[in-house]
Amino acid sequence: MLELNHIQKSFDGSTVLKDISLKINDGEIVSILGPSGCGKTTLLNLILGITDPDQGEIIYDGEDFTKKPMEKRGFNIVFQDYALFPNLNVMKNITYGLKNKPGISTESEVSDLIDLLELREHLDKSIDQLSGGQKQRVALARTMVMKPNILLLDEPLSALDGVIKESIKDRIKTVAREFNLTTIIVTHDPEEALTLSDRVLIIDQGKIAQYGCPGEIVNQPENDFVRHFILNQLEIKRNNIFALFGKGKGVAA
Amino acid sequence: MTLRKKDFELRLIFFGIGALFLAFLFAPMIGIILKSFLGGEGITLEFYKSVFGRRDFLTALGNSFKIAAIAGVLASIAAFVIAYTINYTGAPTWFKKVIQVTATLPMLLPTIAYGFAIIYSLGNQGLLTKLLGRKLFDIYGFWGLLLGYSIYTLPVAFLLISNTMSYVDKKTIIVSKIMGDNYFQTMWIAVLRPLMGTFAGAFIQSFFLSFTDFGIPASVGGKYHVIATLLYNEMLGGIPDFNRGAVVAVVILLPSAGSILLLHALEKYNIRYDRISLAQHRYNKTADSLWGFSSSLLILVALSIFAVIFALPLIKHWPYQLSFTMDHVSSVFADDNLTGVYLNTLIMAFSTALVGTLVAYGAALVSARSHLPKFFKAGVDSLALITNTIPGMVLGLAYLFCFSGSFLQNTFYLMVVCNVIHYFSTPYLMMNNSLSKMNAGWETTGMLMGDSWGKTIVRVITPNAAGSLLSVFSYYFINAMVTISALIFIVGTDTMVLTTKIKQLQYFNKYNEVFVLSMLILFTNLVAKALLAGLAYNKTRKNNGGKKSKATKVRDISKGRKEF
Repeated sequence: MLELNHIQKSFDGSTVLKDISLKINDGEIVSILGPSGCGKTTLLNLILGITDPDQGEIIYDGEDFTKKPMEKRGFNIVFQDYALFPNLNVMKNITYGLKNKPGISTESEVSDLIDLLELREHLDKSIDQLSGGQKQRVALARTMVMKPNILLLDEPLSALDGVIKESIKDRIKTVAREFNLTTIIVTHDPEEALTLSDRVLIIDQGKIAQYGCPGEIVNQPENDFVRHFILNQLEIKRNNIFALFGKGKGVAA
Repeated sequence: MTLRKKDFELRLIFFGIGALFLAFLFAPMIGIILKSFLGGEGITLEFYKSVFGRRDFLTALGNSFKIAAIAGVLASIAAFVIAYTINYTGAPTWFKKVIQVTATLPMLLPTIAYGFAIIYSLGNQGLLTKLLGRKLFDIYGFWGLLLGYSIYTLPVAFLLISNTMSYVDKKTIIVSKIMGDNYFQTMWIAVLRPLMGTFAGAFIQSFFLSFTDFGIPASVGGKYHVIATLLYNEMLGGIPDFNRGAVVAVVILLPSAGSILLLHALEKYNIRYDRISLAQHRYNKTADSLWGFSSSLLILVALSIFAVIFALPLIKHWPYQLSFTMDHVSSVFADDNLTGVYLNTLIMAFSTALVGTLVAYGAALVSARSHLPKFFKAGVDSLALITNTIPGMVLGLAYLFCFSGSFLQNTFYLMVVCNVIHYFSTPYLMMNNSLSKMNAGWETTGMLMGDSWGKTIVRVITPNAAGSLLSVFSYYFINAMVTISALIFIVGTDTMVLTTKIKQLQYFNKYNEVFVLSMLILFTNLVAKALLAGLAYNKTRKNNGGKKSKATKVRDISKGRKEF
């Protein structure tokens, strides 16, 4: 279990995260949702260990991870723009980490992962020959080979278009369930967060606006921010769809 | 107004530029090649045989290859250290800005001034020699040239490497660390490996610049002959030999053209990134301090050499009377001849900038804003590639052969055209880059609103390209202020400019005047750069609706060449 206790973080005198406390259970998919600049990526960086909190602590399975170096935490990340190594082909990218930890995944496990993410036909390709969705799957495979304790995904769907987005969403869910993997996703899209996650953490100006299951967020918004910013976006989307297909109009929350 | 009319105007621009390059690039270059083959009895290889049979020629050629290659390696390494400190370390922002500005400072001075600065820093009576209490090495010859070339080519290598570095995906560092890589493995996979193409580019550019430079060997070459001094002596020495001079020019042309074509070929192996990469990452304080220290040291070496340019003109009589004086400065300004030379330089640089900007803009309109057949665009692109391969000295010599005896001989017109052609490549690519990014439908929209093509260019395209036009103007102006290689063969007594005057003052050992004139060039360039950069920034900002503009960066490795 991952616990964040009273996390505080400032940059150049301005506070980005204020008193963030939450718990994430093993195997849970949690989305961090909020508008641009609300502090969600900073929170992800703190969990990953790219930066340290000014105050508060990060506890993983009872151990204090607050000052633990990033490379020793056993967490891994898929970045929004994938951060693949452009000079290595797909296969070499996927197996990159094995040279440092040779036994962490067996050959057959790597092979299964390649099949699960439907990458077999692309293994010899260079990175610039891949589409956005394929790059995303390669980055996911590269991360999964390292068997992370927690998988972090930074805006994993924002660079992808409609159909590919749905397909990657399914893959993320499948991988997380298959490996019972704690997964933390940063997103600014309420629909993405609510359909993909077991729990959603909504951040407003560095503070937790609400943390709960998608059902709770939709049915019992705890404050105006959640009601207006998050739910109104969904409402507009729903009304547009209904207007387009003539099934009547929705009612604003 | 029809599209046909627009095509007519663009064709006219194309043929105008074509005629200019035909008369002032192709004809002189064909002339110089013919000169190397044509003897009294027709075509002959006699001049080649005689030049290649000379021991001093082969020695000079070997020296040039050797020293240019070593300087290329040193400049690339130094450029990498500085660029890494700026792009990858947690050094304070002010420090990064200081080293960035200092690393590009040598661009604003003529190379001949570096040579004299080295003499007065590290020579027997040099400022640094006095401070250190001993002479570090013999500056006349190999070591002086190496130091001069390395400082001279540092800015170009730095700009190339730092530019690519700003695009390299910084998040790969985080991925590499999470995957368990150590410091050196991360350095290789996330920093060095993506830069290999650019390193090759920086090395080749530095090699090319050193190989073809005349200013540094003219001052600190001593008895260590390189190919550029050989060419100068062949043409303007005791007994000028035009045919053999032409042979030496062709020999200089070959590796120069080869290096630029190689750069062009290497381009396809470069790793392309779509945008400037910024990522938060944990800084390693010890390593960052080492990088910062190394950068400071490199910058300090460069600055300490340049310090004499500022210090010496203000000292009464170095090293014997060290009291402060403004006499040297005021005597330069009181000398009508020198102020006339300064005025000449300003007129020449301004005219070059004006004409050059128009030519580059016209050429870029043909390639970026037209639907003309591919031949036209390929034609303009080829001009950029060809001008990039021709060293200034060779072009100047070609002009000497071609226009001696004509009404253009020793005129400002010829000097301006020479500079416009010589520096055409980078401004054209800058303009092309800027015009290609603009909305492709503006001309059609203007036409539908009743504008002629010319009106749309004046009312819409030009105001939107104002920022880039000013940058191109600035590029031409600064290069025209510092060039010596291209002008040394075509300048006349009445059209003397600062750089060639410096060369003349060397004969009379008037080093105080040399440094005052160098300072004058530096300050003029600093003022011009600050003024034009400020104007360009405001124009671009205005065009972007008040938003801070994203820097237009030319990532193409063959596009950053500068030669003085």
